[in-house]
Amino acid sequence: MNHLNAVTFAILAAAFVLVTCIGFASARWRPAEDPMHLNEWGLGGRGFGTFVSWFLLGGDIYTAYTFIAVPALVYATGAAGFYALSYTIMVFPIVFIFAPRLWSVARARGYVTPGEFVRGRYGSQGLGLAVAVTGILATMPYIALQLVGIESVLTVMGIGSTSGSAFVRDLPLIIAFAVVAAYTYLAGLRAPALIAFVKDILIYTTVIVAMLYIPGKLGGWGHIFSAASTHLNTVNPATGKPFGSIVVLPAGEWAYATLALGSALALFVYPHVTTGVFAAKRRDVIRRNTAMLPAYTLILGLIALLGFMARAEPAVNADVKAAGGNAQLSVPLLFAHMFPSWFAGIADSAIVVGALVPAAIMSIAAANLFTRTIYKELLKPDATPAQETRVARLASLIMKVGALGFALELNKTFSINLQLLGGIWILQTFPAIVISLYTRWFHRAALIIGWAAGMVYGTVQAYRTPGGGQAHFGGSAAPVFGHITYIAIAALLLNLAVAAVLTLVFRATGLQDGWDATKPSDYTADPVTVPAAAARTRTRDHSAAPGAGTPARATSAAGSRPMATPPDPQRVGRYRRTPARHERARFRGPRA
Amino acid sequence: MAQPAPPGKSPATWGVVTVLLIVAIAGALWVPIYARSMPKLGDFPFFYWFQLIWVPVTGVLCWICYLLLRGKPAAAARPEHGRGRRQ
Repeated sequence: MNHLNAVTFAILAAAFVLVTCIGFASARWRPAEDPMHLNEWGLGGRGFGTFVSWFLLGGDIYTAYTFIAVPALVYATGAAGFYALSYTIMVFPIVFIFAPRLWSVARARGYVTPGEFVRGRYGSQGLGLAVAVTGILATMPYIALQLVGIESVLTVMGIGSTSGSAFVRDLPLIIAFAVVAAYTYLAGLRAPALIAFVKDILIYTTVIVAMLYIPGKLGGWGHIFSAASTHLNTVNPATGKPFGSIVVLPAGEWAYATLALGSALALFVYPHVTTGVFAAKRRDVIRRNTAMLPAYTLILGLIALLGFMARAEPAVNADVKAAGGNAQLSVPLLFAHMFPSWFAGIADSAIVVGALVPAAIMSIAAANLFTRTIYKELLKPDATPAQETRVARLASLIMKVGALGFALELNKTFSINLQLLGGIWILQTFPAIVISLYTRWFHRAALIIGWAAGMVYGTVQAYRTPGGGQAHFGGSAAPVFGHITYIAIAALLLNLAVAAVLTLVFRATGLQDGWDATKPSDYTADPVTVPAAAARTRTRDHSAAPGAGTPARATSAAGSRPMATPPDPQRVGRYRRTPARHERARFRGPRA
Repeated sequence: MAQPAPPGKSPATWGVVTVLLIVAIAGALWVPIYARSMPKLGDFPFFYWFQLIWVPVTGVLCWICYLLLRGKPAAAARPEHGRGRRQ
């Protein structure tokens, strides 16, 4: 397996060059009037229609790590690994419910990140900062894992692995990432949006061919399932229990369901997914996409089945064993053993390009968070849009270098542990981001303390979970009240309970709450255009200046398509949280 | 997941949408429904083919919900909408 195949390598290199050209060319795609506005660099002009959004969100949700890790999990443990399929089934109905409201409020108020929304909703810098920092912390290891995905492809191809020098070994990865960093810097979100087309053509081709071709070569599905079940029923000498099962056992159902639900809820609050949502042109684009994005879920299910195919091929099992039992190599190895070398090159390109797209989106999303919630909020409140864009570009580079450092310098297990923690952490921002879309009931201080409680509990619980030969961070599920539960869900429940109780306490003691800068109509608004100038005035002064949202509303009222919610005074009265006059004096922020 | 009904959509429409989305989520979330190997479809245990089939079902349910919630005036605004405005 360490013999470099020239054909496979040439095809991978060609795919990389093609993607690089597209990346640089994308800077000229749909040129903006004002390219130095964060709406342009960070959200691709907020003008992606259904078609582009489909590719962009697909590129967001299905990453290289998914393509490597999910079949690896299926390869090692069987049915338990299929929670990823269940999770990507339920994520779209969930997105259908929440995403349009988040899109509307972001569009009406000119928010680029969820951190700004939370800051505006609660008038709380601290809460906005907590959301932004959590987002950045959770994203960094996620980018690093994209590199781990590329690395496993390169390892199987034999690139660099034979060299004694660590620098030479890592060189291909460094070059690849430097090139991605360069075009992301230049073109912003437009680059991954365009490259996602290539990525998807490669992935769909690979998966369809694999499904038609490999089972025949391995002796049919019957043989694949029976080979897998023979392995899974074998007792693992390390644990004294079977390796896994072909169907989830009753004892594992709770873990399976909570993992799927927790991952689905967490996905929606990951910054790179909200970035993809905010980049949509219209409110309807998101809902229409939830009906079409399941095409990726189907592909994910088929990719998961590759894990069983790898199990049915003795040569793959032998090579995985030779590599110290690294199941992450199983899919690249399967491709190498099953496909002629030219098609193995296409399949490997699919994984590598599949890593570059989400890595770019994630670094942009994290850069947006840093710029709007940390730089503009704390360091330079009077930053011009051009300064914001410059800072965001720089931040995206720093994110990439940081992720590269993670992937190269730190132990691979460490990245995976951090990713596990990232999933737990990011879900703790769910109450502040998603529940706030519906109610402003929670007190801002209660939400911060709830968030902290969830973070601490989740981290400690993950640390205390042994498994997979590790004493700590051995798995993402732990026993809670006798059920094996996804730690993130348990932490979220604790988070909510703390926030609810403290909200009652703080209300009773009359602790000062923040000023809500959003209006009820913002959550259902559907403005046709976002004039950059209007967005700028709104973001510069987003503390509810009267008529802050007027430009967008005016255009939608003047356009031929009325917005979803005409300002209905009765309804506004019902939902608006306008403090009574005697209360108003207590609010520090600028008043409407 | 009842949402405060925005004006223009009847509570009945929101009710139907809520039910459809709950069905879509429950089909994947309620593991005991499909944690079994029989009946098989071809060589595929029930666990696998049920989940794979539930994927397009979810897509169709989301599409129905989208159609139900799509604003009526959207049809009239179609020509303008379809021109792909750019900024």
